[in-house]
Amino acid sequence: MKTENEIMEIESLPLGKIISITCKGIKIRIWRSLIVVSGIVLAIAFLSYILCSDGFAQNVSKAAGSIVEQGSPEKIQELKDQRVQTYWMVGLAILISFVGIVNAMLMSVTERFREIGTMKCLGAIDSFVLKMFLIESVIEGVIGALLGVLAGILIAYVEGVFTYGSGVWSLLPLAWLLGVVAFSFVTGVIITVVAALYPAREASKMMPVVALRAEL
Amino acid sequence: MKQSPEKKETAEQAEASLSTNYVVRAIGVKKVYTMGAEKVHALRGVDFAVRRGEYISIMGPSGSGKSTLFNMIGGLDKPNEGQVYIDEVDIAALNPVELAWLRCHKVGYIFQTYNLITVATALDNVMLPMTFAGMQQADAQDKAIKILERVGLGERVLHKPLQMSGGQQQRVAIARALANSPSIILADEPTANLDKKTGLQIINLLKELNMTEGVSIITATHDHKMLDISDRIAWVRDGQIEKFQKRSELEIKEGEMHVQ
Repeated sequence: MKTENEIMEIESLPLGKIISITCKGIKIRIWRSLIVVSGIVLAIAFLSYILCSDGFAQNVSKAAGSIVEQGSPEKIQELKDQRVQTYWMVGLAILISFVGIVNAMLMSVTERFREIGTMKCLGAIDSFVLKMFLIESVIEGVIGALLGVLAGILIAYVEGVFTYGSGVWSLLPLAWLLGVVAFSFVTGVIITVVAALYPAREASKMMPVVALRAEL
Repeated sequence: MKQSPEKKETAEQAEASLSTNYVVRAIGVKKVYTMGAEKVHALRGVDFAVRRGEYISIMGPSGSGKSTLFNMIGGLDKPNEGQVYIDEVDIAALNPVELAWLRCHKVGYIFQTYNLITVATALDNVMLPMTFAGMQQADAQDKAIKILERVGLGERVLHKPLQMSGGQQQRVAIARALANSPSIILADEPTANLDKKTGLQIINLLKELNMTEGVSIITATHDHKMLDISDRIAWVRDGQIEKFQKRSELEIKEGEMHVQ
């Protein structure tokens, strides 16, 4: 009597609804969310700080280029070594961001396995669980990356004032600065979403009984 | 002695299947878990049927396969072999989305540990399955409040689970299970974390809902108070159903039962 026809009428929730559920979830768990966001802020602040101060150093050496050209070969070699070192630092900064954010996202998903199991028992479909975590990660990623970029650049400039004096303000061309902002921001958001994707996918595919049994 | 009630039951079942309609039917269900190199046969071919409106308890020691059977019936887990029909739909044939639909509309779950969303209010908890069912927010809210009043929590609609006693939390869980007017309520040890008096209140509430709403109730339990109000009891041992008993048969054997 209750046939498959009835079962075929499955509507997934509209995106707006999922977003509002997700936002409610973030608000309810505000402290947990803030910890995740602060992880992203730290990582991205570090990245944008490194990029910014590298920019200062590069432009200073460019401005002093004429002097350097007259300088000894040892001096030029030393500057080249410094460049290689900063590339390493940038690479390291991205790596640290990645590890930090992946860790934060993994935690925020795995600690909610039980909740996911319960929601699936109540009729949540897999894509709902997946979307919920992805939307959450986008929101946290955007906020975290934005704050991180601001903090990183602010710190770089404060330090710059001490190192280079008031001339620091004109040291970086605006295009360069915007490039740093865009690169750090996009990196932050992408890493966050990618980091959330794996655990969220695993969680959404779980049989509810497995999710409920998961002990952490 | 052991054989006779079982035989009687199967004969009765065969007869009944012509007229009665079953909300749950399990046929030759087998489940094997692999734990490392070891294979654990949790269920070794179980046949089980629940009539519409029936109150049935599954009893058995821990490790008997009771919980596994229970999870199969609820569509929370799939069998390795055999079929499980919920409302005449074979759950093995369903894709994940259809399975979710089934859980949402046909089955209400009650857990030993309540499993409420602790950070959300009682009202939000009860509204959640309705949201999954695609119900309008305002309608869902009205219905959720009515159900919460029905289970005696009209005053605590906006309380959060951790501000409530265990019995009250289990009432919220019952209200949530009722949200989409399911045909079956599955209650996994619903009284195990409650004291005697509160447990009895929960059991009475379940029975009352069973009588008034006509919802079939299946519980896995250790609680002997639960047997008193069950229509039938399925005894599970070593991954098989040892016997079915009706309540009337049970009362005669009460002394024996307590020894067991």
